[in-house]
Formats: sequence, structure tokens, C-alpha cells
Amino acid sequence: MSATAFMPTVTTGTVERQANQAGRKPGRRTDEVIRASILSEGIYELVIRDPYVACTVQPAQFVNLYPADARMALPRPFGVAKVDDDDVTLIYQIVGAGTAEFSLLQAGDVIDVLGPLGKPFDTSKPANYVLVGGGLGVPPLLYAAQKLSERNDGTQVTSVFGYRDARFADDLVAPFADKTHSIVNAEGNVVDLLNDIEDELSSADHPPVILSCGPTPMMKAVAAWASKRDIPAQLSLEARMGCGYGACVACVVDTPSGRLKVCKDGPVFTIEELGWEA
Amino acid sequence: MNVLEPHEWRHKTIVAGTEWKNPVGTASGTFQLDACGDYYDVSQMGAICTKGVSPVPWEGNPSPRTAEGPSSMVNAVGLQNPGVDHYLVDELPRLKKLGAMVITNVAGHSDEDYAQVVEKLADSEADMLEINVSCPNVSHGGMSVGTDPVVLSRLIKHLRTLTDKPMIVKLSPNVTDIVQIAHAAVDAGADALSLINTLVGMRIDINTGKPIIANRTGGVSGPAIFPIALSFVWRVRQAIPDIPIIGIGGIDSGEKALEYLYAGANAVEVGAAALVDPTAPMRVARELDDLLDSRPELAAKLAKGQTW
Ligand SMILES: Cc1cc2nc3c(=O)[nH]c(=O)nc-3n(C[C@H](O)[C@H](O)[C@H](O)COP(=O)(O)OP(=O)(O)OC[C@H]3O[C@@H](n4cnc5c(N)ncnc54)[C@H](O)[C@@H]3O)c2cc1C
Ligand SMILES: Cc1cc2nc3c(=O)[nH]c(=O)nc-3n(C[C@H](O)[C@H](O)[C@H](O)COP(=O)(O)O)c2cc1C
Ligand code: FES
Repeated sequence: MSATAFMPTVTTGTVERQANQAGRKPGRRTDEVIRASILSEGIYELVIRDPYVACTVQPAQFVNLYPADARMALPRPFGVAKVDDDDVTLIYQIVGAGTAEFSLLQAGDVIDVLGPLGKPFDTSKPANYVLVGGGLGVPPLLYAAQKLSERNDGTQVTSVFGYRDARFADDLVAPFADKTHSIVNAEGNVVDLLNDIEDELSSADHPPVILSCGPTPMMKAVAAWASKRDIPAQLSLEARMGCGYGACVACVVDTPSGRLKVCKDGPVFTIEELGWEA
Repeated sequence: MNVLEPHEWRHKTIVAGTEWKNPVGTASGTFQLDACGDYYDVSQMGAICTKGVSPVPWEGNPSPRTAEGPSSMVNAVGLQNPGVDHYLVDELPRLKKLGAMVITNVAGHSDEDYAQVVEKLADSEADMLEINVSCPNVSHGGMSVGTDPVVLSRLIKHLRTLTDKPMIVKLSPNVTDIVQIAHAAVDAGADALSLINTLVGMRIDINTGKPIIANRTGGVSGPAIFPIALSFVWRVRQAIPDIPIIGIGGIDSGEKALEYLYAGANAVEVGAAALVDPTAPMRVARELDDLLDSRPELAAKLAKGQTW
């Protein structure tokens, strides 16, 4: 399948080499699909080979995928869920034409990619990182768990995932988390779950820090819950994007210091930056 | 294709007395120094055209601000920018350091707004001013100025008295007769024309029956508008042989840039293509430079700043 919406494509190797030589980031390039599979009804896993993303991406950063169908001119942003050597895993749900096109990809196909993009979670301090994810906000938190689990500074990982129905990521986070919790819509939401485990959070070695990604109403509720308890929280937002790298000012979020770009100033913001205190 | 290796430019262009090291610039609203500079050496561009600069900070339109169409995007950013004072202190000095021509895109809601910005830029280091009288995404000013020859003429005549800098007037395609508007701008004192700005468009979400963009309508740009924009350039060139023209709309390759030069443009600007590949403006510039090798007459004309 050819992967050009607007642009002729060049291979990953060439673009990366040239960009590195010039001391810059590689632009849009064409990656090979290594594996494509279904995780659960409507939820897909896509593994692409991109050594540059693999060695540079930080948790909550995302990549743009470009549909091959020229009727879709804009990129689709997806959080990175996992990295194995040169391979990068993305997990996405089919919601429209772009994700429907991606769901047809098979091993050996190619896809155009840009990234990694955006500002990552700040995980510089050892803490009990509580990863609060809702729906397709979970994938970036899987990668956060993977990275945090590699540390030897007493950092702990607690996952708190809320799903619409199928618990598609519980098995994926388990190898990287000290404690895992999840809930499906029929049972309640992540704030209910946070209430249930509140005591457990404060009894860990380090104080909790919330890293969260999910639908906006969920994140507002998580922000309210955290700020009432003085638990620092970083929220990874979504916005409809034009470019994904900071050039068009399409993807803004209203904050006390004005309209900021989700793609470049974020996607990660603190509760205070967003003015989302309870 | 060696998109990022150092390049010796062979073909310059002269636009209203300003010398560009190659005929390709970035289009207003699709270039931000901090973002684009990560991906290519922006000093290599022929010109950098900034986002619209207004007298005071503008917060732009609410989200969502973009939708897409076939080979195109629709945007209603609404000229969000930190205002001219911030631009003069923070952005312009950094842009100037690069060495590309700096075109400052000027936005306003009223004649007074435009005048304030132009006055502040008159003694600045900006190489050219591009007066944006064609933005479809602001409720006052913008396109409402650029679609009425009488209103446009009054504005440009006034701005002409405020600055000696080369003044480009950026035209809207959303008019019945572009030639009439072009004449109005030139007769009032424009040194060059750039065209086109975006075409008014919209998309509706069929699940909700509501427009996707919060502003409801937006400006359409990208490859889909290329043939339309090209014809606008050609028509204005036929009518006004001696005004420098910057062609804009749907350019994503050196070939398309070359079509603009044949249609009568002295230079081009790359817009939406940069949003789907950050290195696109530089790639277009290099492809065009190579193509011009086999067009010595065209290249000579550009280098002398001859119009048509
Ligand atoms: C930073 C970031 C990370 C994301 N990570 C993931 C992820 O890991 N897994 C996942 O399943 N989804 C993720 N999303 C949402 C994903 O980008 C959209 O579901 C996807 O773009 C929809 O494309 P489509 O063509 O199928 O839908 P359509 O509705 O046909 O798309 C039309 C346009 O709307 C945009 N759009 C639609 N839904 C969204 C949305 N929710 N957020 C932003 N833009 C949207 C598309 O990019 C496109 O430009 C992320 C979004 C952002 C901003
Ligand atoms: C996101 C976006 C923002 C824009 N902002 C401006 C602006 O501030 N001032 C202006 O004169 N034109 C603006 N434009 C119009 C472009 O400069 C250009 O005229 C138009 O997009 C057509 O070119 P293209 O098809 O290459 O994008 C904007 C276009 C886009 C896509
Ligand atoms: S999507 Fe273009 S600035 Fe964020």
C-alpha cells in the first residue's frame, strides 16, 4: 500500500541519517509495519519499526500517523504504548476513517510517521506513580509503566485503569506495575477506584504522583480528586490537531495563562497549569 | 532525495527590491520558529512569513479549529498571536538573525488596528510587510476588508503613508473579481501582491449534524486548492504585468512551485504542506532550485526581479 496523502515518501533510514547529520529531528518518513493484531473488539495493536522513535520517545509523547487515502489530509496522533528494541507499539481504537484504514494494515505494509512529538510526563523524581487511564488514554500509560519499571530508585507503579467494557490492557501493564487495579463502566469509574485504594496509595514507600490520560471529563474528575488531597498530577490531554508539532496553533486548550498548544506545550500539563484545581 | 544536506542556492529571486536566496517562502500561519526550526535549517528559506501580528494579543477562535477535506484542511485558528509588542521584542530579532527575508504578516480588526501594527513595524528590522486583508476566520477586518475595493483602497493608501517598507497585500480568493481587487491594492500603493489566502469552507459531522469547527466555517488550503490558486495568480498577472506576485496555495512540490512561476509569480509560499511534513518548505525550495537549472530564461528573469 502506498503511503502518500500529500507527500512523496522517503525511508526512515535516509531521513534519520540526514536529520542526525544536521543535528535536527527527522521529518515525516515511511516505516514498516512489523505486526498488526486485534487486542479486543475494535481495539488494535500496531507495531512499526522506527529506531528513532524507539530510542528517543518518552512517556506521553506521541507519533503522527498519516493515512494513505488523500481524502484524509491530516495526521492522526497516537501515544506510544511500548518499545522493544527498534519496534514501537501503538494501541488504538477504530473511531473513524483514519483508524479504519490503519486497521487494514498488515505486517510488511508501510505507513508514514512523524515523531516523537510533544512534552512527556515529568518522572524525574522517585515516587509512587499512579497511572490513571481511561479507555484509549491507557496506551501511553503502558509505556510510562514500562519505563518506570526499569528504574532502581524505589519508584513504584500503581495502575488504575477504567475501561468501557473489555479490560484490554490489564495483561499488558501487569509485568511493569507493582499494583494493578481496573474497573469497567458497569462497575464504576476511575475516581471510584481511586477512593477504594486511597489508603493503599498513602502507605507506599514514596508519596503518590498521578499521571493520567483519558477523556476530558475523566481527567477533570481526576484533577479534582488529586487537588483535594494535594497529590500532584500530570494530565495528558487530547485535542483535534492540524500539524501535531507546533506550527499551526490549531490544538489549543484554555489555561489561566492563555490558550496553549496541546501538541507542543503539552500534551502533558499539571493541574495548576490548566487551572483545574477542585 | 537529500532533503537536509547543505545546499548552495543557484537561483535567487527579487521581489519588490528584496533579494531572496531562493524563490520559496513559508506561508503565514503555518510557520512557527520554535517548531519548524527543529526540523530544518530555516535560514535556508528564501523568506519566512510570520503568523498574522495584531496590535494587541489575540486569543483566536475556540476549539476545535481544524477539520479536513479531500486533499485539504479547513482551519479557523482566528489569528491567535501574542501581539506586535511581543513580536518586536521576542520573535523578530530571532527571525532576523537567521538571514532569510522576514515578511511580517499584519492583521487587524479595523483600519486603526492595521495602522498601529504597521506604525510599530515601520522602523523595525522586518524586510517586508504582508497586509492580511483576506483572513476568513475573523469577524471584523480580515476578509471583509479584502473583498471590497473601496475599503481596501482606503486602508492601503493610509498604510502607505506610514511605512517605506515593501508592502505586500495578500488577496482573498473569496471575491467575484480578483483583478478588480488587485488593481485597487496596486493603485493604492501596494509594492507586491500575494495570493491566495484560504477559500471559505466547512465540514459537518454527520453523527451530530453540526459543523466540526467551532467557528462553523474556516479557510480551506492544501493540494485541493492548487489549480484554483494557480488560476488566480495567472489572471492577476495577465491584468497587471508589472507588479511582483507571490503565489500561494496547495504547493507541496518543486513542480507545483514551478507552475506558479510560469503562471507569473516571482516567488511562492508553502503553507499546509508544512503541516503534514515539517520539512516540506525546504524540500520544495530544493526541488525548485534543481528544476530551474533547466529553465535559464525563467531563472534570469527571477534574478533580475523582472515581472512579466
Ligand atoms: C496526543 C494524542 C494521543 C492519542 N493517543 C491515542 C491512542 O494511543 N490510542 C487511540 O486509540 N487514540 C489516541 N488518540 C486519539 C486518536 O488520535 C483519534 O482517535 C484518531 O485521530 C481518530 O482518527 P479517525 O480518522 O479514525 O477519526 P475521524 O473522526 O474520522 O478523524 C477526523 C479528524 O479528527 C481527529 N480526531 C478524531 N478523534 C480525535 C481525538 N479523540 N483526539 C484528537 N483528534 C481526533 C483526527 O485526527 C482527524 O483529524 C490520541 C489523540 C491525541 C491528541
Ligand atoms: C493553520 C493556518 C493558519 C493560517 N494563518 C494565516 C495568517 O495568520 N495570515 C495569513 O495571511 N494567512 C494565513 N493562512 C493562509 C496561508 O498563509 C495560505 O495563504 C493558505 O493556507 C493557502 O496556502 P496552502 O494551500 O499552501 O496552505 C493560514 C493557513 C493555515 C492552514
Ligand atoms: S496541531 Fe498544529 S500547533 Fe498543535
